[in-house]
Amino acid sequence: MCNACGNPSVPGHWTEAGAATPGDRLRARFHRAGLLDKLLRPYGLSAHDGGMVPGIQLGTLSGSQTIVPDLGALWAEAERLLGRPIDPLDPAFLNDD
Amino acid sequence: MMTDVADGRMRLTVLGGYLGSGKTTWLRHQLHVGTFGPVHVVVNEAAETAVDDALLGGAAGLTLLAGGCCCCAGKADLIRVLRELCDQRSRISSDATRLHRIVLETSGLADPSAIVAAVQGDPILVNHIVIDETIVVVDALHGLAQLQTEPLGRRQIGAADRIILSKCDAADPASLIRLRATLRNLTPAAPQSGAVLGEVVALPLVPEDTEAEVLPPLSDEDTRGAIFPTRLMIDESIDWSAFAMWLSALLHARGNDLVRVKGVLRTPAGRLLLQTVRKVVQSPEILPEQSGEREDGTIVFIGRGFRPEDLYKSLLRFAGQGTKP
Repeated sequence: MCNACGNPSVPGHWTEAGAATPGDRLRARFHRAGLLDKLLRPYGLSAHDGGMVPGIQLGTLSGSQTIVPDLGALWAEAERLLGRPIDPLDPAFLNDD
Repeated sequence: MMTDVADGRMRLTVLGGYLGSGKTTWLRHQLHVGTFGPVHVVVNEAAETAVDDALLGGAAGLTLLAGGCCCCAGKADLIRVLRELCDQRSRISSDATRLHRIVLETSGLADPSAIVAAVQGDPILVNHIVIDETIVVVDALHGLAQLQTEPLGRRQIGAADRIILSKCDAADPASLIRLRATLRNLTPAAPQSGAVLGEVVALPLVPEDTEAEVLPPLSDEDTRGAIFPTRLMIDESIDWSAFAMWLSALLHARGNDLVRVKGVLRTPAGRLLLQTVRKVVQSPEILPEQSGEREDGTIVFIGRGFRPEDLYKSLLRFAGQGTKP
Protein backbone atom coordinates (compact mmCIF):
# COMPACT_ATOMS: atom_id res chain seq x y z
CA MET A 1 0.00 0.00 0.00
CA CYS A 2 1.22 3.49 -0.80
CA ASN A 3 1.63 5.39 2.47
CA ALA A 4 0.92 8.73 0.81
CA CYS A 5 -2.45 7.97 -0.73
CA GLY A 6 -3.47 4.68 0.92
CA ASN A 7 -4.06 2.90 -2.35
CA PRO A 8 -4.92 0.07 -2.72
CA SER A 9 -6.89 -0.16 0.50
CA VAL A 10 -7.82 -3.80 -0.11
CA PRO A 11 -5.95 -6.45 -2.09
CA GLY A 12 -7.26 -6.91 -5.63
CA HIS A 13 -10.89 -6.77 -6.66
CA TRP A 14 -12.16 -10.13 -7.94
CA THR A 15 -12.28 -8.83 -11.51
CA GLU A 16 -8.48 -8.42 -11.43
CA ALA A 17 -7.81 -12.07 -10.58
CA GLY A 18 -7.15 -13.20 -14.15
CA ALA A 19 -3.61 -11.84 -14.40
CA ALA A 20 -0.68 -13.20 -12.41
CA THR A 21 2.32 -11.18 -13.59
CA PRO A 22 2.77 -7.38 -13.55
CA GLY A 23 2.93 -7.36 -17.34
CA ASP A 24 -0.34 -9.28 -17.64
CA ARG A 25 -1.94 -6.99 -15.12
CA LEU A 26 -0.99 -3.84 -17.00
CA ARG A 27 -2.09 -5.34 -20.31
CA ALA A 28 -5.41 -6.33 -18.76
CA ARG A 29 -5.91 -2.78 -17.46
CA PHE A 30 -5.35 -1.20 -20.87
CA HIS A 31 -7.57 -3.74 -22.52
CA ARG A 32 -10.31 -3.25 -19.95
CA ALA A 33 -10.19 0.54 -20.28
CA GLY A 34 -10.58 0.25 -24.05
CA LEU A 35 -13.59 -2.03 -23.76
CA LEU A 36 -15.15 0.09 -21.05
CA ASP A 37 -14.76 3.32 -22.94
CA LYS A 38 -16.42 1.87 -26.03
CA LEU A 39 -19.27 0.57 -23.92
CA LEU A 40 -19.81 3.72 -21.86
CA ARG A 41 -19.72 6.27 -24.73
CA PRO A 42 -23.36 5.68 -25.77
CA TYR A 43 -24.35 6.42 -22.18
CA GLY A 44 -22.54 9.75 -22.27
CA LEU A 45 -19.68 8.52 -20.09
CA SER A 46 -16.04 7.80 -20.75
CA ALA A 47 -13.42 5.59 -19.14
CA HIS A 48 -9.66 6.01 -19.13
CA ASP A 49 -6.84 4.07 -17.54
CA GLY A 50 -3.35 5.22 -18.40
CA GLY A 51 -1.68 2.59 -16.25
CA MET A 52 -0.04 5.18 -13.97
CA VAL A 53 -2.81 6.43 -11.69
CA PRO A 54 -4.40 3.60 -9.70
CA GLY A 55 -8.03 2.91 -10.50
CA ILE A 56 -10.17 3.78 -13.48
CA GLN A 57 -10.96 7.34 -14.46
CA LEU A 58 -14.65 7.72 -15.16
CA GLY A 59 -15.66 10.92 -16.93
CA THR A 60 -18.75 12.60 -18.25
CA LEU A 61 -19.10 14.51 -21.50
CA SER A 62 -19.19 17.75 -19.51
CA GLY A 63 -15.65 17.06 -18.47
CA SER A 64 -15.98 16.06 -14.83
CA GLN A 65 -13.83 13.16 -13.74
CA THR A 66 -13.97 10.63 -10.92
CA ILE A 67 -11.43 8.00 -10.05
CA VAL A 68 -13.03 4.73 -9.02
CA PRO A 69 -10.94 1.94 -7.46
CA ASP A 70 -12.46 -1.02 -9.31
CA LEU A 71 -15.27 -2.21 -11.55
CA GLY A 72 -17.66 -2.74 -8.66
CA ALA A 73 -17.36 0.93 -7.72
CA LEU A 74 -17.51 1.94 -11.38
CA TRP A 75 -20.97 0.50 -11.95
CA ALA A 76 -22.22 2.11 -8.74
CA GLU A 77 -20.81 5.49 -9.81
CA ALA A 78 -22.24 5.11 -13.32
CA GLU A 79 -25.63 4.40 -11.77
CA ARG A 80 -25.32 7.55 -9.66
CA LEU A 81 -24.44 9.66 -12.70
CA LEU A 82 -27.13 8.20 -14.95
CA GLY A 83 -29.86 7.81 -12.37
CA ARG A 84 -30.31 4.16 -13.31
CA PRO A 85 -28.01 1.14 -13.42
CA ILE A 86 -26.37 0.05 -16.66
CA ASP A 87 -28.27 -3.19 -17.16
CA PRO A 88 -26.58 -5.64 -19.54
CA LEU A 89 -29.90 -7.44 -20.04
CA ASP A 90 -31.87 -4.29 -20.80
CA PRO A 91 -33.80 -4.97 -24.04
CA ALA A 92 -32.87 -1.49 -25.27
CA PHE A 93 -29.19 -2.35 -24.86
CA LEU A 94 -29.55 -5.73 -26.55
CA ASN A 95 -31.75 -4.68 -29.45
CA ASP A 96 -30.60 -1.25 -30.49
CA ASP A 97 -29.48 -2.35 -33.94
CA MET B 1 -23.17 -36.96 15.54
CA MET B 2 -21.63 -40.33 14.87
CA THR B 3 -24.02 -43.09 15.66
CA ASP B 4 -22.86 -46.62 16.18
CA VAL B 5 -23.23 -49.00 13.31
CA ALA B 6 -25.07 -51.55 15.37
CA ASP B 7 -27.50 -53.06 12.90
CA GLY B 8 -25.07 -53.30 9.99
CA ARG B 9 -26.81 -50.68 7.94
CA MET B 10 -25.04 -47.76 6.37
CA ARG B 11 -25.49 -44.26 7.69
CA LEU B 12 -26.61 -41.58 5.27
CA THR B 13 -26.05 -37.94 6.06
CA VAL B 14 -28.00 -35.54 3.90
CA LEU B 15 -26.32 -32.19 3.45
CA GLY B 16 -28.69 -29.52 2.19
CA GLY B 17 -28.90 -25.77 1.99
CA TYR B 18 -29.76 -23.04 -0.42
CA LEU B 19 -27.78 -22.22 -3.58
CA GLY B 20 -24.40 -20.87 -2.61
CA SER B 21 -24.91 -21.32 1.10
CA GLY B 22 -21.52 -23.01 1.45
CA LYS B 23 -22.33 -26.72 1.39
CA THR B 24 -19.27 -27.79 -0.57
CA THR B 25 -16.92 -25.52 1.36
CA TRP B 26 -18.15 -26.96 4.63
CA LEU B 27 -17.99 -30.54 3.39
CA ARG B 28 -14.52 -30.05 1.94
CA HIS B 29 -13.22 -29.02 5.33
CA GLN B 30 -14.97 -31.89 7.11
CA LEU B 31 -13.41 -34.36 4.67
CA HIS B 32 -10.04 -32.75 5.22
CA VAL B 33 -10.16 -33.07 9.01
CA GLY B 34 -11.93 -36.45 8.88
CA THR B 35 -15.12 -35.61 10.80
CA PHE B 36 -17.01 -38.39 9.07
CA GLY B 37 -14.23 -40.96 8.85
CA PRO B 38 -14.01 -42.93 5.61
CA VAL B 39 -16.98 -41.81 3.62
CA HIS B 40 -18.50 -42.08 0.18
CA VAL B 41 -19.72 -38.74 -1.09
CA VAL B 42 -22.59 -38.38 -3.52
CA VAL B 43 -22.81 -34.93 -5.04
CA ASN B 44 -25.90 -33.73 -6.85
CA GLU B 45 -25.95 -30.65 -9.03
CA ALA B 46 -29.04 -29.24 -10.68
CA ALA B 47 -27.19 -27.99 -13.73
CA GLU B 48 -25.51 -30.28 -16.18
CA THR B 49 -22.04 -28.95 -15.47
CA ALA B 50 -20.28 -30.26 -12.45
CA VAL B 51 -17.91 -28.07 -10.50
CA ASP B 52 -18.18 -29.38 -6.96
CA ASP B 53 -16.65 -32.77 -7.60
CA ALA B 54 -13.32 -31.15 -8.44
CA LEU B 55 -13.18 -29.71 -4.94
CA LEU B 56 -13.94 -32.82 -2.93
CA GLY B 57 -10.69 -34.74 -3.12
CA GLY B 58 -10.74 -36.02 0.47
CA ALA B 59 -13.52 -38.57 0.10
CA ALA B 60 -12.94 -42.33 -0.06
CA GLY B 61 -15.29 -42.48 -3.02
CA LEU B 62 -17.21 -39.95 -4.99
CA THR B 63 -20.27 -40.21 -7.21
CA LEU B 64 -21.53 -37.28 -9.16
CA LEU B 65 -25.16 -36.85 -10.12
CA ALA B 66 -25.40 -33.96 -12.55
CA GLY B 67 -28.28 -32.75 -14.65
CA GLY B 68 -31.27 -32.95 -12.39
CA CYS B 69 -32.10 -32.12 -8.83
CA CYS B 70 -32.38 -35.43 -6.96
CA CYS B 71 -35.47 -34.47 -4.99
CA CYS B 72 -37.50 -34.30 -8.19
CA ALA B 73 -36.16 -34.86 -11.73
CA GLY B 74 -33.11 -36.87 -10.68
CA LYS B 75 -34.75 -39.00 -8.03
CA ALA B 76 -34.52 -42.24 -10.00
CA ASP B 77 -30.79 -41.62 -10.57
CA LEU B 78 -30.20 -41.10 -6.88
CA ILE B 79 -31.99 -44.32 -5.95
CA ARG B 80 -29.98 -46.20 -8.61
CA VAL B 81 -26.66 -44.85 -7.31
CA LEU B 82 -27.49 -45.66 -3.70
CA ARG B 83 -28.60 -49.17 -4.66
CA GLU B 84 -25.31 -49.72 -6.47
CA LEU B 85 -23.39 -48.64 -3.37
CA CYS B 86 -25.40 -51.08 -1.25
CA ASP B 87 -24.73 -53.78 -3.79
CA GLN B 88 -20.98 -53.25 -3.78
CA ARG B 89 -20.91 -53.23 -0.01
CA SER B 90 -22.92 -56.41 0.30
CA ARG B 91 -20.26 -58.26 -1.70
CA ILE B 92 -17.66 -57.59 0.96
CA SER B 93 -17.72 -59.84 4.00
CA SER B 94 -19.12 -58.14 7.06
CA ASP B 95 -15.90 -59.02 8.94
CA ALA B 96 -13.85 -56.88 6.62
CA THR B 97 -13.74 -53.09 6.68
CA ARG B 98 -16.76 -51.90 4.81
CA LEU B 99 -18.20 -48.57 3.94
CA HIS B 100 -20.17 -47.21 6.87
CA ARG B 101 -21.21 -43.81 5.81
CA ILE B 102 -22.51 -41.94 2.81
CA VAL B 103 -22.78 -38.18 2.64
CA LEU B 104 -25.20 -36.83 0.06
CA GLU B 105 -24.60 -33.24 -0.90
CA THR B 106 -27.87 -32.09 -2.44
CA SER B 107 -28.19 -29.39 -5.02
CA GLY B 108 -29.12 -25.96 -3.75
CA LEU B 109 -32.57 -26.32 -5.24
CA ALA B 110 -33.41 -29.55 -3.43
CA ASP B 111 -35.84 -30.08 -0.61
CA PRO B 112 -34.03 -32.49 1.77
CA SER B 113 -37.26 -33.88 3.19
CA ALA B 114 -38.25 -35.17 -0.27
CA ILE B 115 -34.92 -37.00 -0.51
CA VAL B 116 -35.30 -38.52 2.94
CA ALA B 117 -38.79 -39.66 2.02
CA ALA B 118 -37.54 -41.19 -1.25
CA VAL B 119 -34.75 -43.15 0.45
CA GLN B 120 -36.99 -44.38 3.24
CA GLY B 121 -39.73 -45.30 0.82
CA ASP B 122 -37.53 -47.52 -1.32
CA PRO B 123 -37.99 -51.19 -0.44
CA ILE B 124 -34.33 -52.08 -1.03
CA LEU B 125 -32.62 -49.06 0.40
CA VAL B 126 -34.57 -49.11 3.62
CA ASN B 127 -32.87 -52.41 4.49
CA HIS B 128 -29.39 -51.07 3.84
CA ILE B 129 -29.42 -47.42 4.74
CA VAL B 130 -30.42 -45.48 7.84
CA ILE B 131 -30.77 -41.74 7.51
CA ASP B 132 -28.47 -40.45 10.18
CA GLU B 133 -29.20 -36.77 10.08
CA THR B 134 -30.07 -33.92 7.79
CA ILE B 135 -27.62 -31.06 8.03
CA VAL B 136 -28.69 -27.78 6.47
CA VAL B 137 -26.19 -25.05 5.77
CA VAL B 138 -27.53 -21.52 6.08
CA ASP B 139 -25.75 -18.49 4.72
CA ALA B 140 -25.31 -16.07 7.63
CA LEU B 141 -25.14 -13.20 5.15
CA HIS B 142 -28.16 -13.91 2.95
CA GLY B 143 -30.12 -16.32 5.15
CA LEU B 144 -32.73 -13.86 6.36
CA ALA B 145 -33.42 -12.49 2.90
CA GLN B 146 -33.84 -16.03 1.57
CA LEU B 147 -36.24 -16.96 4.35
CA GLN B 148 -38.30 -13.89 3.62
CA THR B 149 -38.66 -14.46 -0.09
CA GLU B 150 -38.01 -18.11 -0.93
CA PRO B 151 -40.51 -20.85 -0.04
CA LEU B 152 -37.76 -23.37 -0.79
CA GLY B 153 -35.42 -21.79 1.76
CA ARG B 154 -38.06 -22.28 4.44
CA ARG B 155 -38.74 -25.88 3.45
CA GLN B 156 -35.03 -26.64 3.73
CA ILE B 157 -34.88 -25.21 7.25
CA GLY B 158 -37.95 -27.23 8.13
CA ALA B 159 -36.14 -30.42 7.14
CA ALA B 160 -33.01 -29.77 9.20
CA ASP B 161 -31.86 -31.86 12.15
CA ARG B 162 -28.85 -29.63 12.56
CA ILE B 163 -28.12 -26.18 11.18
CA ILE B 164 -24.69 -24.87 10.22
CA LEU B 165 -24.45 -21.12 9.86
CA SER B 166 -21.77 -20.46 7.27
CA LYS B 167 -19.85 -17.26 6.49
CA CYS B 168 -20.23 -16.10 10.10
CA ASP B 169 -17.24 -13.80 9.71
CA ALA B 170 -19.02 -11.78 7.03
CA ALA B 171 -22.23 -11.11 8.95
CA ASP B 172 -22.55 -8.57 11.75
CA PRO B 173 -23.42 -9.99 15.19
CA ALA B 174 -26.78 -8.21 15.46
CA SER B 175 -28.16 -9.69 12.26
CA LEU B 176 -26.64 -13.06 13.13
CA ILE B 177 -28.57 -13.05 16.40
CA ARG B 178 -31.74 -12.13 14.55
CA LEU B 179 -31.18 -14.94 12.05
CA ARG B 180 -30.59 -17.40 14.89
CA ALA B 181 -33.81 -16.38 16.62
CA THR B 182 -35.73 -16.69 13.35
CA LEU B 183 -34.29 -20.13 12.65
CA ARG B 184 -35.07 -21.24 16.18
CA ASN B 185 -38.63 -20.17 15.59
CA LEU B 186 -38.83 -22.31 12.46
CA THR B 187 -37.10 -25.40 13.89
CA PRO B 188 -36.72 -25.16 17.66
CA ALA B 189 -35.24 -28.66 17.87
CA ALA B 190 -32.32 -28.19 15.50
CA PRO B 191 -29.06 -27.20 17.20
CA GLN B 192 -27.18 -24.40 15.47
CA SER B 193 -23.44 -24.07 15.05
CA GLY B 194 -21.29 -21.56 13.26
CA ALA B 195 -18.63 -22.08 10.62
CA VAL B 196 -16.14 -20.06 8.62
CA LEU B 197 -14.82 -21.98 5.62
CA GLY B 198 -15.88 -25.18 7.36
CA GLU B 199 -14.05 -24.45 10.58
CA VAL B 200 -16.21 -24.27 13.70
CA VAL B 201 -16.58 -20.81 15.22
CA ALA B 202 -18.54 -19.65 18.24
CA LEU B 203 -21.92 -18.06 17.61
CA PRO B 204 -23.17 -15.04 19.51
CA LEU B 205 -25.68 -15.99 22.20
CA VAL B 206 -29.29 -15.11 21.56
CA PRO B 207 -30.66 -12.90 24.36
CA GLU B 208 -34.03 -14.02 25.71
CA ASP B 209 -35.86 -10.94 24.44
CA THR B 210 -34.66 -11.18 20.83
CA GLU B 211 -37.59 -11.03 18.47
CA ALA B 212 -37.61 -13.33 15.50
CA GLU B 213 -38.05 -11.79 12.10
CA VAL B 214 -41.70 -11.87 11.06
CA LEU B 215 -41.78 -13.87 7.86
CA PRO B 216 -44.41 -12.90 5.33
CA PRO B 217 -46.67 -15.73 4.21
CA LEU B 218 -45.59 -17.16 0.87
CA SER B 219 -47.63 -19.08 -1.61
CA ASP B 220 -45.87 -21.97 -3.26
CA GLU B 221 -46.18 -20.29 -6.63
CA ASP B 222 -43.55 -17.62 -6.84
CA THR B 223 -44.79 -14.54 -8.67
CA ARG B 224 -41.36 -13.71 -10.04
CA GLY B 225 -41.15 -16.94 -11.99
CA ALA B 226 -39.17 -20.04 -11.22
CA ILE B 227 -35.43 -20.09 -10.65
CA PHE B 228 -33.79 -22.00 -13.48
CA PRO B 229 -30.23 -22.96 -14.40
CA THR B 230 -28.66 -21.75 -17.66
CA ARG B 231 -25.31 -22.75 -19.07
CA LEU B 232 -23.11 -20.33 -20.90
CA MET B 233 -20.11 -21.49 -22.93
CA ILE B 234 -17.32 -18.97 -22.92
CA ASP B 235 -15.01 -19.65 -25.85
CA GLU B 236 -11.47 -18.42 -26.40
CA SER B 237 -12.59 -15.21 -28.08
CA ILE B 238 -13.94 -13.82 -24.82
CA ASP B 239 -11.08 -12.95 -22.50
CA TRP B 240 -11.22 -12.62 -18.74
CA SER B 241 -11.21 -8.79 -18.73
CA ALA B 242 -14.30 -8.60 -20.90
CA PHE B 243 -16.02 -11.36 -18.99
CA ALA B 244 -15.28 -9.83 -15.58
CA MET B 245 -16.46 -6.46 -16.81
CA TRP B 246 -19.71 -7.93 -18.04
CA LEU B 247 -20.34 -10.04 -14.97
CA SER B 248 -19.62 -7.20 -12.55
CA ALA B 249 -22.12 -4.98 -14.41
CA LEU B 250 -24.65 -7.80 -14.51
CA LEU B 251 -24.35 -8.46 -10.79
CA HIS B 252 -24.65 -4.77 -10.05
CA ALA B 253 -27.87 -4.48 -12.04
CA ARG B 254 -29.40 -7.94 -11.54
CA GLY B 255 -27.68 -9.36 -8.46
CA ASN B 256 -30.91 -10.01 -6.60
CA ASP B 257 -32.31 -12.13 -9.41
CA LEU B 258 -29.08 -13.96 -10.15
CA VAL B 259 -28.89 -16.19 -7.12
CA ARG B 260 -25.84 -18.15 -8.16
CA VAL B 261 -23.08 -18.07 -10.78
CA LYS B 262 -20.48 -20.80 -10.80
CA GLY B 263 -17.89 -22.10 -13.20
CA VAL B 264 -14.28 -22.51 -14.21
CA LEU B 265 -12.60 -20.15 -16.68
CA ARG B 266 -9.18 -20.20 -18.29
CA THR B 267 -7.15 -17.04 -17.70
CA PRO B 268 -3.48 -16.11 -18.11
CA ALA B 269 -3.13 -16.85 -14.37
CA GLY B 270 -4.46 -20.41 -14.69
CA ARG B 271 -7.79 -22.12 -14.21
CA LEU B 272 -9.96 -19.82 -12.18
CA LEU B 273 -12.91 -21.00 -10.12
CA LEU B 274 -15.56 -18.32 -10.04
CA GLN B 275 -18.45 -18.33 -7.58
CA THR B 276 -21.00 -15.69 -6.75
CA VAL B 277 -24.03 -15.57 -4.49
CA ARG B 278 -26.34 -12.68 -5.35
CA LYS B 279 -24.11 -9.61 -5.36
CA VAL B 280 -21.24 -11.16 -3.44
CA VAL B 281 -18.33 -12.63 -5.37
CA GLN B 282 -15.96 -15.01 -3.65
CA SER B 283 -12.38 -14.16 -4.38
CA PRO B 284 -11.60 -16.45 -7.34
CA GLU B 285 -9.59 -19.53 -6.57
CA ILE B 286 -6.84 -20.84 -8.84
CA LEU B 287 -7.43 -24.53 -9.43
CA PRO B 288 -4.69 -27.06 -10.15
CA GLU B 289 -4.25 -28.04 -13.78
CA GLN B 290 -6.08 -31.25 -14.44
CA SER B 291 -5.60 -33.81 -17.09
CA GLY B 292 -8.60 -34.94 -19.04
CA GLU B 293 -11.13 -32.66 -20.55
CA ARG B 294 -12.79 -30.80 -17.73
CA GLU B 295 -15.54 -28.48 -18.75
CA ASP B 296 -13.54 -25.29 -18.61
CA GLY B 297 -15.23 -22.23 -19.95
CA THR B 298 -18.70 -23.35 -18.95
CA ILE B 299 -20.41 -21.05 -16.51
CA VAL B 300 -23.69 -21.94 -14.83
CA PHE B 301 -26.12 -19.14 -14.09
CA ILE B 302 -28.99 -19.89 -11.73
CA GLY B 303 -31.57 -17.17 -11.51
CA ARG B 304 -34.81 -15.73 -12.76
CA GLY B 305 -36.20 -12.78 -14.62
CA PHE B 306 -34.17 -13.06 -17.82
CA ARG B 307 -34.25 -14.97 -21.07
CA PRO B 308 -31.45 -17.54 -21.32
CA GLU B 309 -30.53 -16.51 -24.86
CA ASP B 310 -30.04 -12.88 -23.82
CA LEU B 311 -27.07 -13.72 -21.60
CA TYR B 312 -24.68 -14.61 -24.38
CA LYS B 313 -25.88 -11.81 -26.60
CA SER B 314 -25.27 -9.36 -23.82
CA LEU B 315 -21.81 -10.75 -23.14
CA LEU B 316 -20.85 -10.40 -26.80
CA ARG B 317 -22.02 -6.80 -26.78
CA PHE B 318 -19.84 -6.07 -23.79
CA ALA B 319 -16.85 -7.72 -25.40
CA GLY B 320 -17.39 -5.50 -28.42
CA GLN B 321 -18.28 -8.41 -30.69
CA GLY B 322 -21.99 -7.79 -31.04
CA THR B 323 -23.76 -7.50 -34.35
CA LYS B 324 -23.15 -3.77 -34.25
CA PRO B 325 -19.55 -2.50 -34.39
